[in-house]
Amino acid sequence: MGKIFDWIDSHFGVKEPHKRFLQRTIPPNVNYSYCLGGIAFTYFLMLAFTGLLLSIYYVPSEKEAFKSIIAITNEVTLGWFIRSLHKWSANLFIVFIIFHAIRVFIHKAYKPPRELNWMAGVLGFVVAMASGFTGYLLPWDQKAYWATEVGTSMFGTVPLIGDYLIYAVRGGLDINGTTLIRFYSLHVLYLPISMVIILWAHFHMVKRQGIAKRL
Amino acid sequence: MKRRDFLKKVIKAFFLTLTAFIFSASIYIYPSNIRKRRFHYIYLMDEDDLPKKGVRKIEFHYEREHRIVNSRVFVVAGNDKFTAFSPVCTHLGCLVNWDNNKKEFLCPCHGGKYNASGEVIAGPPPKPLTRLPLEIKDGKVYVGIKV
Repeated sequence: MGKIFDWIDSHFGVKEPHKRFLQRTIPPNVNYSYCLGGIAFTYFLMLAFTGLLLSIYYVPSEKEAFKSIIAITNEVTLGWFIRSLHKWSANLFIVFIIFHAIRVFIHKAYKPPRELNWMAGVLGFVVAMASGFTGYLLPWDQKAYWATEVGTSMFGTVPLIGDYLIYAVRGGLDINGTTLIRFYSLHVLYLPISMVIILWAHFHMVKRQGIAKRL
Repeated sequence: MKRRDFLKKVIKAFFLTLTAFIFSASIYIYPSNIRKRRFHYIYLMDEDDLPKKGVRKIEFHYEREHRIVNSRVFVVAGNDKFTAFSPVCTHLGCLVNWDNNKKEFLCPCHGGKYNASGEVIAGPPPKPLTRLPLEIKDGKVYVGIKV
């Protein structure tokens, strides 16, 4: 490991600029509650990895979506396992974001100079929730359909632009194959890309500003 | 022109283009086939099959854009008068069911409840159930819905 990595690093030069970050001293009085954000991030990595695997078998079309989910669960070797990992990681991702936010809130780490990082975190939470919402439709079963009916109807309650939003999100008057494609596209392209950018900014600010001192 | 002023203009032009692009994108994502729903009378059942009393759920289907749409309607029998209710909850669009024991329409999503006249008796719905016009012609019952 060492030799191969050193050879790569001698050409790529990634070790030196990251030394300050990777070999920094951890401030005193840090306990396990400071791991909550890291745990959430680990779930994000799990979601990205299992999501990539699921996308090999999933078919985002009106006729095939539900069938392909059944096939993933029952026919694909370890398909049930990958799908379950994705599902449970998604739930725990949200849970640990909330725990992390509570920890930050209790330690008042949202205060200046870290207020922008709090905002980035909130944005990340919104993207995580949006990913959950769009992912919920993809199995294309009754529960998914009605959850999306309810969820997209809420867009209609926005003043003035409600109708625009509801039709833009659904891709038509009703929920059908067009909605499924839209949600799939959001779920696998737009939202993950947004999430990566937000997390980069989040970690960048943690690196720059350090961890807030405890009260 | 100074370089500074020129660059300022370039930046302004860039943001203007960006705004135009975002505007076009938001038009692009809006579906092009959105049209107003049109009003249609659709055959429901024969006049003899109308309920004598109580509430009956009637399922029917129609075609829209080469797709069969399954739908249902609740027909409530009053004194020689029939009322048809859309099953779509006025809260967020789930389909309500008729609970014959409690004599109320119940929405499974957020617990909205309506009585047999379609009025809200509990839960979040902001409006009573939508009444649909019924038409009886030559012994056949038609319901008016927006398709």
